[in-house]
Amino acid sequence: MDDPIRLLLILIPALPLAAAVLIGLLGPRVLRQQSHWLAIAAVLASFLCSLLLMRELSFLQRAAGAGGEVALGIGYEEVRRLWTWTDVADAYQQPRTPPGESRESLVGGGSRDFRIDIVLRADSLTCMMLVMVTLIATLVAIYSAGYMHGDPGYWRFFAYFGLFVFSMTMLVSVSNFVLLYVFWEAVGLCSYLLIGFWYQKPAAAAAGKKAFLVNRVGDFGFALGVFLIWTTYGTLNFHDSLRGGELEPARIQQAVAAERAGEVVPAEQEPVAGVFGPLRLADNELRPAGQPRTSAMISLAICLLLLLGACGKSAQFPLHVWLPDAMEGPTPVSALIHAATMVTAGIYMIARCTPLFLVSPDAQLVVSVVGGFTALLAALIALTQYDLKRVLAYSTVSQLGYMFLALGVGSLAGVTAGMFHLFTHAFFKALLFLGAGSVMHAMGNVIDMRRFGGLRRVMPVTYITFAVGCLALAGVFPLAGFWSKDAVLGAVHDKVHELEPHDSDSHGPAPHGPAPHGPAPHDSSPHGSAEGGGTQAVERPESSADDDVTPVFGLSNLLRGQIFHWLYLLGLMTSFLTAFYTFRAFYLTFHGPELIPPEAGRHAHESPASMTVPLGILAVCSALVGLLLDRSYLDGTNSFANWLLWTPSLGFPAAMRTTLPGEFHLSVAGWSTLMALGGIGLSSYLYLGSRHEIHGIRQFFDLAWVSGWSDVESFARMRQWRVARWVRECSAAVGLEWLLRLVVGALLLVVLVLSAPLLLLYYVSPYKLSYHRFYLDELYELVLVRPLRGLARLCYGIDRWLIDGTVNFVGRVPRQIGDVMRSLQMGLVPFYALAMVLGLLILLAVQLLG
Amino acid sequence: MDTATLLLVTILLPLAGAVALWPVAALGTRAVRWTALAVTLATLLLTVLVIWDFYPDHVASTEREWTWLGAGEQIQFGIGLDGISVWLFALSALLMVTAVLVSWEAIDDQVPQFYALLLLLECGCLGVFAARDLIMFYVFFEFTLIPLYFLIGIWGSEDRKYAASKFFLFTLAGSLLTFLGLLSIVWWKAAYVAGGELTFSIAELAAAVQQAAGTPRAMSPGFQAVLFAALFAGFAIKVPLFPLHTWLPLAHVQAPTAGSVFLAGILLKLGSYGFVRFCLPLLPDATYLFAPWILWIAVIGILYGALIALAQHDLKRLIAYSSVSHLGYCLLGVFALNPLGLQGGTLQMVNHGLSTGGLFALVGMLYERYHTRDIQQLSGLARQVPRLAFFMLVFTLSSIGLPGLNGFVGEFLVLLAMFQRAWQEPLPGWGLHLKAISVLAVFGVVLGAWYMLWLVQRVFFGPLKHPSGGHDGAPPRDLAPREILALAPLAVVMVWIGVAPNFFLRPMDGPLREVEAAVARPLQEGLQNREPVAEKRPQTGLENLTRAR
Repeated sequence: MDDPIRLLLILIPALPLAAAVLIGLLGPRVLRQQSHWLAIAAVLASFLCSLLLMRELSFLQRAAGAGGEVALGIGYEEVRRLWTWTDVADAYQQPRTPPGESRESLVGGGSRDFRIDIVLRADSLTCMMLVMVTLIATLVAIYSAGYMHGDPGYWRFFAYFGLFVFSMTMLVSVSNFVLLYVFWEAVGLCSYLLIGFWYQKPAAAAAGKKAFLVNRVGDFGFALGVFLIWTTYGTLNFHDSLRGGELEPARIQQAVAAERAGEVVPAEQEPVAGVFGPLRLADNELRPAGQPRTSAMISLAICLLLLLGACGKSAQFPLHVWLPDAMEGPTPVSALIHAATMVTAGIYMIARCTPLFLVSPDAQLVVSVVGGFTALLAALIALTQYDLKRVLAYSTVSQLGYMFLALGVGSLAGVTAGMFHLFTHAFFKALLFLGAGSVMHAMGNVIDMRRFGGLRRVMPVTYITFAVGCLALAGVFPLAGFWSKDAVLGAVHDKVHELEPHDSDSHGPAPHGPAPHGPAPHDSSPHGSAEGGGTQAVERPESSADDDVTPVFGLSNLLRGQIFHWLYLLGLMTSFLTAFYTFRAFYLTFHGPELIPPEAGRHAHESPASMTVPLGILAVCSALVGLLLDRSYLDGTNSFANWLLWTPSLGFPAAMRTTLPGEFHLSVAGWSTLMALGGIGLSSYLYLGSRHEIHGIRQFFDLAWVSGWSDVESFARMRQWRVARWVRECSAAVGLEWLLRLVVGALLLVVLVLSAPLLLLYYVSPYKLSYHRFYLDELYELVLVRPLRGLARLCYGIDRWLIDGTVNFVGRVPRQIGDVMRSLQMGLVPFYALAMVLGLLILLAVQLLG
Repeated sequence: MDTATLLLVTILLPLAGAVALWPVAALGTRAVRWTALAVTLATLLLTVLVIWDFYPDHVASTEREWTWLGAGEQIQFGIGLDGISVWLFALSALLMVTAVLVSWEAIDDQVPQFYALLLLLECGCLGVFAARDLIMFYVFFEFTLIPLYFLIGIWGSEDRKYAASKFFLFTLAGSLLTFLGLLSIVWWKAAYVAGGELTFSIAELAAAVQQAAGTPRAMSPGFQAVLFAALFAGFAIKVPLFPLHTWLPLAHVQAPTAGSVFLAGILLKLGSYGFVRFCLPLLPDATYLFAPWILWIAVIGILYGALIALAQHDLKRLIAYSSVSHLGYCLLGVFALNPLGLQGGTLQMVNHGLSTGGLFALVGMLYERYHTRDIQQLSGLARQVPRLAFFMLVFTLSSIGLPGLNGFVGEFLVLLAMFQRAWQEPLPGWGLHLKAISVLAVFGVVLGAWYMLWLVQRVFFGPLKHPSGGHDGAPPRDLAPREILALAPLAVVMVWIGVAPNFFLRPMDGPLREVEAAVARPLQEGLQNREPVAEKRPQTGLENLTRAR
């Protein structure tokens, strides 16, 4: 084909889909235990295609930057149309815009079609996700061939696997909110199928259902958000197009020029400005029409609803509860879907929607707060779990929280930091999960860390690679996690500075990082506008994106600065906890006396090569990917972030005026390293040597002393004391027993009242809260599930007795009448004669008297 | 043969088949079954040919009218398909093949009569959707009741007599009112509109309504409201809308599998189809007036049906209540009164027929194997009957609106339309109501996933448990090729609609746009004047009538 980008964009998802279909058809009879070859080949080919696509795109980007073909600061995208999914003509009538609003012409005068084309896109963000997804998928596929070996559902596993890779690659390459939603749900379906892969296990089946339902709650928000976007912007496309579906940028420019010149163009030629298309972004026309406050409300509502969707998919509070349960699925699935790829879909979506969030600083704040809070909450839970995979699951939740924290900063530095963390996290978390799977494989599917230990000699490769993963997760220099976590914390740190009074007083906050040198030549780049030089792409007063919008919450910059400051401290705290629980799990598994459960059989051993090779590759990636991609320590620009800025959603003028990525924050790095080392140190102290302190620490946090103190039995024992007996006897002798009882009773009451809070504290001691995951599952059961089930039963009762009863009653009325009438029909001829005579008489009487 | 003749042959073929079963019965039940299958397959084939000719928008070519009743040329008999009815017509032909196949072994008793009734039912349903005039519509509309009454009453489960008579009386009571309402429109046309001749043609009546709109000859809002109520009675019971739904779970539970499949798949659609076909174009002012109320009823039905489904332990009753919930979406789409909603609602009718029809067929197959419909007695069946579990999962996912399958397209369009109606062009005075309705409707989607996934999890996953273990202790066999043949076409169409819905939406566009244009006038007036329409025309319906006389 003469269009390599089109070919690649089709091949990347099509290959895994083809593999899935083939395995699904041939698996049960023909392929059986050989099913993995097809899957591995397809996913590997898909990965190579992704690399080619990235290369192709980079050439084009460079050419565009040099030649200045695209509107500057708009980014670069390639879109390809496959077929039309739906087309309802004239579905949307543009609301009457208030006079003076000039945007009407571009955003579509009059009616609009609900036209959804299957359009695939290639831009930096998509390419980055594609490469990450297909690379991890390839490694996990190879690993699964070893891990799933001999499973009766072998072919089924690889069929689902292919289906997932197809859905995920489509998710990141579609260019439309409807299709994003479609594949958003499709990856959810694959997740559901794979969590419940061993469906005979009730826990697995229940976990699958729970994942689907919690995600449905999130999707509820996502769907509402999409509907609001439709009613607000009149399109759901990301890209610009013509009404007839034409995507060629030159033709669109032509049409826009014609429209601006006031020419009458045929309906087919009318330009339709996509939500994240250059036409809208150039002037940052993403504020809904109407009064500033209404428009701010709508922006906020859209963002928060999208956030709810992202919270479901990316397991953020309060919808994070499904992810730990999802660990019931096979471990490779946990690594691929529930650590590296699918759960990052929410991050991807919010990053894609950056322009929407930029017009709503309140929404940004919520994103950050949700992220920061989740990061801390999950880290606290992870401290006390004994299930190795669950520790990692909570760690994933926590790290995803980091990404949200970064995204909510609302600057390009934040968004790119979030995406960078997403990228590096995929490697080391996949590594950790696969390592845990390797342990599980050797231990005969035992995953409770109390039941094995000291495995470092038994499984040396797993041990070393797991250690690399732990160091990377903890954020130790120079592994991957260090760089990305620094970027995240640095972005939050910058935000605090930006919001400080002395900065916002000055005329527009200057970007803190030096402008990047990446995508476009320096002089003609819109980045240059930040430095006051170069050609300006748009004529608009220099101001931060925040100044254009009316905040709904009405928080002052000072307060917001303080919130971000707290979030920054929270992030540091979390990095301490992360290091602690990571190494706790590490030591419990690999150090200490060797302990192997009976399920493992006689000879527990290192996993086969098909499992250790992917571990090795992932370990190398986890170690180096940050060092190689960050490079801010060399020339002051994060090359990963710079490349990402080519994404249209990130490269538009208003965003370019926010803090740009770049600077390496030495002080932030210092603090976070200190925290990480502190965590590792504490963990080593507690878990590496003799472990007798552990019990004490646990008891301390479990408030065991409270239980000892307020024990009811101790009161009973006090009755047996000699003094007590003596007092009792004395009072009995003088006949004042009643007084004694009164006094003792009063005393007991006082003690009880005083100790009640303590007792309560005991039942919700920090340890127990953490161990029982803050009782959130129980809370949901109590507050949501039970009442709804009760309501359901109530409705059924109403339906049967009230509604059906009424119907039957109404139905019985004619029959009753009939019964009365029937009793008259007794078949006696004389009676009928009598009735006739009577009737005649009455008629006569009426005639005569009337 | 031109398309119209082909269409006529398609409708009459099942009738002929039913008659032909009489002599065939002498050859034994096997021959009867094969004959019935052959007839339904031939009907399906003819349907495909008709659509082939028809697609995408050659409405005229399928129309034909015959003079009827000889009394002059007023009363005519017309058949034809348009985009609104074509897919429902096709669905009837498709589902009947499924119905015949699922009854293959389940029905041992009075086999020829059973199949004859099924074929009569098919004839009735095809006729309803092809009808172009009121009389024919009504005749077929009522005609569908009779075979189904016998199907439930003779081949149903233990409580069949009660269920059959309740179903019959309930729907008959409503449809009599509907008939009166429809006749009144005919009478109005004859009495008031220039030209004055009696016509039963739906198209002519709609044109007359359009033409008279705004003139003193137009039906007054009060008169329209009365007629709307009459039409509503029949259609709402048929849909069924809350709180007129109680016959439905009973009928479903008691009906034989084929009856359930057809009842859920086609007969329920007659109600929502009736709304699109008659209420909107013929009574636009009343539609505009009542739309918010019906939307409320629909959304209450969505949540109420879903909640009750959540409390069920009987597979059939659960799916029956889910129908109550799902049909709410059809009505939501139709009464959003904009192109997106009408298309979504009409498509959703087809979608529901596919998924729920398929689900009932599956439940029938489960019952044949395990002799129970009690969810609590079943568990982990996926291990014994993996293919059945596969189809169950696909149909469930379609039913809960998973993207990539059909249910999503309809639901999405409907909800999008509701949002557009609520946020962009709210009916005056109803803005907040409409917003609440749309948000609640989206919430219904969450509930829908809950009970259906609960069902799948309980019955198919987990440790294996079932009451009997088959007839003689041997594990029940998985789906036979015959059963796969019954289900696979449904699954294929589900994927087809999910992946390329535009193929199905395109022919709807034209006719639905006309429907929308009919209601657009009161809508525009309402939006612009922000005053009740009634104030502009003070005379009530009765005054109007008497004055004209």
